[in-house]
Amino acid sequence: MTNQPIIQIKNLQKFYDNKQVLKNINLDVYPGQVIGYIGPNGAGKSTTVKILTGLIPDFVGEVTVDGINLSENPQEIKKLMGYVPENAEIYDVLTPMEYLDFIGKLYGMEEPLLSDRIEKLLTAFGLADNINDRMDTFSKGMKQKVLLTAGIINNPKILILDEPLSGLDANAVILVKELIMRLSKEGKTIFYCSHMMDVVEKVSDRILLINKGQIIADGTFESLKQNYSDTLEQVFSKLTGREESGIETDAIINAFV
Amino acid sequence: MDKLLLKFVGLFNGLLQKTGVDTFQLHEILRVKLLMDNRRPRTAFGNRAARSGGKAPSPILANLLIMFMGLMIGLALFLSFKPLLGQTLYFSIFMMMMALTLISDFSSVIIDSRDQFIILPRPVNDRTVAMSRFLHVTLYISRIAFLLGIPGILIIGFVDGWAATPLFFIQIIEATLLSVLLVNLVYFVLIKAVSAQKFKDIINYVQITFSVSLFAIYYLVPRLVNVKSLKDIDVLSHQWVYFWPPVWISSLNEALLHSGRSNSLIIVFAVLGLILPIIGIWFVAKVLAPGFNKKLAIVSNADGGNIDGKKQHKTDFRDKIANWLAPDPIENAGFKITWKLATRTRDFKMKVYPAFAYVPIYFIYFTFNGKGETLSEKFEHVRNSSTYIFLIYLTTFVLLSILQNVSQSAKYKSAWVYYTLPIDQPGKILSGMYKAIIAVYFLPYCLVIGIITLVIWGPSTLNDIILAFIISIIYGMLMALFTVKGLPFSKPVMVKAGSGKMIVSFILLGLIIILGLGHKFLARWETVIWLLIIPMLLINWIMFRQYKKQSWDAIELADID
Repeated sequence: MTNQPIIQIKNLQKFYDNKQVLKNINLDVYPGQVIGYIGPNGAGKSTTVKILTGLIPDFVGEVTVDGINLSENPQEIKKLMGYVPENAEIYDVLTPMEYLDFIGKLYGMEEPLLSDRIEKLLTAFGLADNINDRMDTFSKGMKQKVLLTAGIINNPKILILDEPLSGLDANAVILVKELIMRLSKEGKTIFYCSHMMDVVEKVSDRILLINKGQIIADGTFESLKQNYSDTLEQVFSKLTGREESGIETDAIINAFV
Repeated sequence: MDKLLLKFVGLFNGLLQKTGVDTFQLHEILRVKLLMDNRRPRTAFGNRAARSGGKAPSPILANLLIMFMGLMIGLALFLSFKPLLGQTLYFSIFMMMMALTLISDFSSVIIDSRDQFIILPRPVNDRTVAMSRFLHVTLYISRIAFLLGIPGILIIGFVDGWAATPLFFIQIIEATLLSVLLVNLVYFVLIKAVSAQKFKDIINYVQITFSVSLFAIYYLVPRLVNVKSLKDIDVLSHQWVYFWPPVWISSLNEALLHSGRSNSLIIVFAVLGLILPIIGIWFVAKVLAPGFNKKLAIVSNADGGNIDGKKQHKTDFRDKIANWLAPDPIENAGFKITWKLATRTRDFKMKVYPAFAYVPIYFIYFTFNGKGETLSEKFEHVRNSSTYIFLIYLTTFVLLSILQNVSQSAKYKSAWVYYTLPIDQPGKILSGMYKAIIAVYFLPYCLVIGIITLVIWGPSTLNDIILAFIISIIYGMLMALFTVKGLPFSKPVMVKAGSGKMIVSFILLGLIIILGLGHKFLARWETVIWLLIIPMLLINWIMFRQYKKQSWDAIELADID
């Protein structure tokens, strides 16, 4: 592996009005890494991801991807990335074929290659029979598979996944987990955001914990375990300052009295 | 049709590329957007409509309706004896209708929040995105513009000779482009200036105002304005018309076909009308588009809203009113949910708020019909009659409009909570709902109308106002019994009511007319009116009791899947 970081974030800050949601994030990510990006609700996870994908163009600090400055040339960076958003927005009056064709074309992909790839990918995800059905009849899991396909259609160097397993059945979850491993072996960098600690624990080889706009832990699961606790869940709750176990549940139970 | 339109756009590829638009991506975005437009009706009414036997409104009928409107405004073209008059009138209405259609149909398209996550993460630049939005809207609206314009094209041929016809075609394109540009401009400015929430609200109120004013113009202008005096209007004698786009458009015809009576000013206008759309397109691509996505991103990101600190839950005046009027817990829930959802749901406001304006418009329409009198004579005439009883009973139109819409919602699925909770008497929710409608909308409205009545017709009308209000509440409950079959905001929005409902509506309409006439007959005995208030209150009380007793059998459940 090269020593050149593929994503480099320096002193990243973000304000909404007067509220600071990101406080000096510094981060180097190397090719082939699977980053598990975790943190409580409202910690700044989505904001980081939206900045990386170019959805939020105004921020303070410097973000470089593959040697390209994000503020100067966002379009070039977008070409290197695949993004599976959290909130599953999709044009559901289209069929998967039409939708993915559209996305592929926006990446500038050319015809025989594109439709061929769409077909192969959808077949691999088990949607071969639904390729020409409109997605408004799809279940959440099926839509999620289409979104995943859209995220990797351009064979991106960097894949950003925001809660990618939502709605998937157990088999599809295994498929995606295996896929993440394989892609990372191919040298792809994966940015994995999730609240499901057990999955993050398994797939990522580096875990970043963000709280109140700051990265408060950074390391492999093994190192976090040694320093703090047995499971990622426990590490998480310790570091994000959840009170002593039992206090909250006590309060809930006591509310009935 | 779509392919043709796309090819047409393709003609401008060279020009667009110069402004920094990626034409390949532009073509793709437009193709997909048009494809989705074509499929939109199916999703809007969904399988649900097909299951319940309803039909989406037929496109042919809608097209014919547009052409009919085109014919109506086309009549203005016959006013050709004065320069610019007829055409200015025609294009003013034409552009207004275009703008209205754009705002009501396309606010969701211009700010489709899904684009955020589907198009923006891909390597598409700002100019391409902004241009695709602009062209998408233009293509959609050009279909409507064409239909609306056909009658005008034919009429102008009669009025002004065959040469005017191709010219008129160009003028319609001008008008369409200018309308799109103006609406776009307003959107760009608004998006820049206000939050997403406010933005949607503003669009909402613009829509309501527009539809009400169209309605008012249609009904009131013939009543209040003497058409004959229109003939003598000299358009150019008013300086403000220099800035009125329809004048520029109609100047084209004037300059080329009536060069005898046109002057240099008209030629300047004509040229202005021709080049402005082109400048406008350039302006959108060059000046407005850069950074547009940035602003849009900020708008939609702010949508989540940051709640600073913890807000203490406190009982505000609404809770007090609710507790006082609807003390039963279930009824109280129905009261509050109706109040809060009604005042916060845009669709509901869109459909119901115009009714408040329709009442005075109808009233003036029906009462100001004396012929050959001046306006003040007409007013005096109305003042000396007992038409105020008509006005007070007309307010039940507001009740009707609310009741027809209160059980419908685009987010009807959230109503699943009603079905999972142990509610044994859903009638309580309905009576809470009805009380909320009265307290929030009907009572304040009646107070306003009542005060106006007192001012115009004098204090002796007080007993009539009170009696009519109480009777209206009874009448409203009857309407609710027959028309509201669902819990508040629990059913999908219907395209139109079935024929059975039509008959019920007619019977109900007949009833209010009989009640109103009866009241009018008794109005000469003041004490009778005062005395009648007591039994009516009693009936009211009994009705409420009965209304509360409705069981689940009386309520249609929307299937929730």
